[in-house]
Amino acid sequence: MIKKEFKLSLIKLAKFVVIFLIADLVLGTISKQIFFNQKTGKYARSTYAIKDTDSKILIFGSSHAHRHYVPKVFEKELGKTCYNVGAEGQQLLYHTAMLKMILKRTKPDLIILNIDENFLYKSKVAYDRLSDLHPYYSDYDEELGPILGLKSKLIDFKMFFKSYQTNSTVIHAIKYYLSPQIDYNGYRPLSGQVKSVVDESEEILIKEYVEEIDENFVMGLKNFISTAKNKGISLLFVTSPTFSEVDHSNNISYNKIKEIAGKENIPFVNFFNATQFKYKHELFHDTSHLNNDGAQLFCKYLADEIKNRNLVESKKSEY
Amino acid sequence: MLFNSLDFFLFLLIVFSLYWFVVYKKINLQNLLILAASYVFYGWWDWRFLSLIALSTLMDYLVGFRIYQSKNVSIKKRWLWVSILFNISLLGFFKYFNFFIDSWVDLFNSFGYQMRNTWTLKVILPVGISFYTFQTLSYSIDIYKAKLKPTKDFIAFAAFVSFFPQLVAGPIERATNLLPQFLNKRTFTYRGFSYGLKLIIWGFFLKLVVADRAAIYVNAVYNNVENHDGLSFIAATVLFAFQIYGDFAGYSLIAIGTSKLFGFDLMTNFRRPYFAASVSEFWTRWHISLSTWFRDYVYIPLGGNRTKKLRWLFNMFITFLISGLWHGANWTFVVWGALNGIYLILEVQLFRKKRKGLINILLTFLLINFAWIFFRANSIEQALYIIKMIFTSPGRLYIGSGDDIAASLYATLSIAILLLVEIKKEYFNAIFSISQNKFEFIRFVGYAVLIYLILYLGVFGESQFIYFQF
Repeated sequence: MIKKEFKLSLIKLAKFVVIFLIADLVLGTISKQIFFNQKTGKYARSTYAIKDTDSKILIFGSSHAHRHYVPKVFEKELGKTCYNVGAEGQQLLYHTAMLKMILKRTKPDLIILNIDENFLYKSKVAYDRLSDLHPYYSDYDEELGPILGLKSKLIDFKMFFKSYQTNSTVIHAIKYYLSPQIDYNGYRPLSGQVKSVVDESEEILIKEYVEEIDENFVMGLKNFISTAKNKGISLLFVTSPTFSEVDHSNNISYNKIKEIAGKENIPFVNFFNATQFKYKHELFHDTSHLNNDGAQLFCKYLADEIKNRNLVESKKSEY
Repeated sequence: MLFNSLDFFLFLLIVFSLYWFVVYKKINLQNLLILAASYVFYGWWDWRFLSLIALSTLMDYLVGFRIYQSKNVSIKKRWLWVSILFNISLLGFFKYFNFFIDSWVDLFNSFGYQMRNTWTLKVILPVGISFYTFQTLSYSIDIYKAKLKPTKDFIAFAAFVSFFPQLVAGPIERATNLLPQFLNKRTFTYRGFSYGLKLIIWGFFLKLVVADRAAIYVNAVYNNVENHDGLSFIAATVLFAFQIYGDFAGYSLIAIGTSKLFGFDLMTNFRRPYFAASVSEFWTRWHISLSTWFRDYVYIPLGGNRTKKLRWLFNMFITFLISGLWHGANWTFVVWGALNGIYLILEVQLFRKKRKGLINILLTFLLINFAWIFFRANSIEQALYIIKMIFTSPGRLYIGSGDDIAASLYATLSIAILLLVEIKKEYFNAIFSISQNKFEFIRFVGYAVLIYLILYLGVFGESQFIYFQF
């Protein structure tokens, strides 16, 4: 009797699993179509960067990259196509994964990584946000597997389901379908000015890290460097201007990044505390981010620095 | 071990296979396996607290015999008090020691006596202690009331106390319902297996899609109150109502479904509580295992409603006050319990007939939500601030920033799905059913799509269940 019930349960379970897998395949394919057909928004930008861009200068980094680097300025000043791959809230593991996927298809001349001083500090959200890479897993499992594997050991099993690959993406797709988010080669300008007198108590700073080095992030940075170097691509590390005076001399993460850059002979352009920007409220959107005027000016200075250092073979702008 | 973790899935697969394929011939071995599995399940959090469950088990096992064997009623009573004092002391020390010390110190300080607090201890709250102490207490009390005979089978009793599906967050089972199931042979049926899986799937939807989505907005507002206005507090409180429902009802369904897989029937813990047309009805639909526990072991022994009206109202109030304190060592929970007690008193005083209809449902929902403010707030001061802002400064509605905006929309979408399902179950259950559909294909497709939605819309961060802290 019990054996009969087990047999029945197994048969029914097998039937159900087959139906679920078909549902996952059908609905998952639709979800993926929705995902990859987005025209604007963060996923559209990352998909474009991975699948289409052949720009000669690529910019990586968090919101400081996304909001500070104006591709048009580099194109004008250096005569090279440029795309901003920066993504808000993302950190080193994400940038390394993006770089690996992009370099599978194209070879830029210069890669700029905007450095956040806390890049190497332990951060749970840095791992959580790697889920933005899930939709690309089917096409880039070799590149993404080791990185997503740092977050979950069962990544291959989880990614077997198309539904999981596109988890939490549908609202984003609907939102930017209804209200497109305009960008300029990946750059989205910020407007407005930081208050002339900043009351720091009004600033809501959510600390997303613990001040301890995460060795996975160190490996991520080294991996980023080696991935570019192995392809013979020039690398440049840059820190963005800050509104207030900052002292990162005792920041272990920042010092470690500088040390690695030094060992690997990566040029490092430091705009922290740059006098051209410091306390110029007309150039900042908030104390951490430049507005469009600030970003244009910053990119002009940086383009000059790139020219001075001969990091790319600059030619007269055709743009 | 969390239900929403892959560890649990592997654990469940192993235990299920051993239970039905290796030790299925002997009930003692099945119980032993459940006991061992339950201790592994609990020890996954902190193995040190296993000693507490073991101690509580041993104590009530022995006391149960003493109560039963004593001929003299006063000796019976004495042994019952041993069980009550032991379990309440366990709970009191681990859950309330620091709370009472802090409260005494605050009280003295408020009268101007400067008192330094040097007595509080670094006590970690063992997960689920409120649940299993109540479960073992019910065993001793039911023996005392001659509703139950003590079991000689220690393994079965220990497995009953620590039964892993409901060990850390209920449903709080009565010995009269669950213990006999450990003593009788369980049989595997396709019907039970399939029903168990259905409950588990819907439980995960409630937890991962409804509760965890709502939690993102709720936490953003309640953990940052100074930056929000009244409208945001209203939205966050309503979302919290669904968060706590999804979280707790989801856990209960997973627990009941998992038990089904092993041939056990646990009691229903939630019955669409937000369709209640009065607060008293709400408490027959919400956390039923706890509310009936308090009814049977606190309210009725106090005299229930078979006493003078004033005493009856007092009995109701005190039961809810204790229920509030049971939920947590914080004055916010006490006020929450007191508010529910006051609601019931007012209902008794103001309404004679049973209330029905949409207006009453909405009014009840409103009252329950008002009480949830105290339940969710981090302090009484914060709750009062939130209430003040709701009434005086509606301001603008926070829709989230960055990924939070999407979180609010996901929460709204998932609650809409939940409400549609519950409205259908509450009012149109006979019309059409996916889970009970006569066509197997429709049932299978329905649940396949539900799993798809969980994977597509759910939050996968292995978040804790709210009721673990109680």
